[in-house]
Amino acid sequence: MLIRKWKKKAIEFSRIEQIEAELLRQVPACCDLDEGSKAEARIFPPPANTNDPDFLRDWHEYVRPELQHLFRSAKETVETDLGSLKMKVGHLGRFLVPLEHGEPWLNALNQARLILATKFEFSEAELSAFDLSRTFSQRELVLHQINFYAAIQERIIEILNTGDEQKGSGEGG
Amino acid sequence: MPETAIETKTEAQLATPWNVVVHNDPVNLMSYVTMVFQKVFGYSRDRATRHMLEVHHLGRSIVWTGSREQAELYVQQLHSYLLQATLEKSEGC
Repeated sequence: MLIRKWKKKAIEFSRIEQIEAELLRQVPACCDLDEGSKAEARIFPPPANTNDPDFLRDWHEYVRPELQHLFRSAKETVETDLGSLKMKVGHLGRFLVPLEHGEPWLNALNQARLILATKFEFSEAELSAFDLSRTFSQRELVLHQINFYAAIQERIIEILNTGDEQKGSGEGG
Repeated sequence: MPETAIETKTEAQLATPWNVVVHNDPVNLMSYVTMVFQKVFGYSRDRATRHMLEVHHLGRSIVWTGSREQAELYVQQLHSYLLQATLEKSEGC
């Protein structure tokens, strides 16, 4: 897959393999939270290490709904953009993400990675390990999925920061 | 009439400073955290990187100190980027 800036107005995802398309399409579903889960607690952490019940109640009542709205909106943006990703048998896929959708994409990819990492209880060492696993358990595959999303995030950040149109990192898969 | 001495303090003197603290998280990318600090606080790339490395190596970094109201807004913004941030009273006040 190749990710690069396109005509100063979009991020182009091209040369997309079937497996990459499948992982991309899973991003919105990965953002879904189970109520009362550890992942939910990670996505909505407490704003202070305090026992000030008024402050925490206000935060829950007023701030949390705003955050929920923002996270849902980022997920829906990704869902909409992915709608234009059509894969034909024997062909590599391509779709464009408007530049202004770069931040919602970063947000949704972050939600997905945080939720997967919390759900599967990956340690810091596991998340930062570079060696290839020798097993193919569901847990190992999820770690690959998290790293795949991280690589996309890195490339989007690079594009948003530098406006680079030539570099083609992000190839792989 | 007897004179009364009234000691006044400015609002700034009365206000207790609050810290915005960002905590380490193995999932958030270093480049992402740096970008967020630049966006939220308007920090230079160098300063944002310094705070990011502090979070990474020491587990936390005080990224801003000031009024409680502003600190709450910053914590909310950091949470919107999915960073683990809290506010706490500044020590020595």
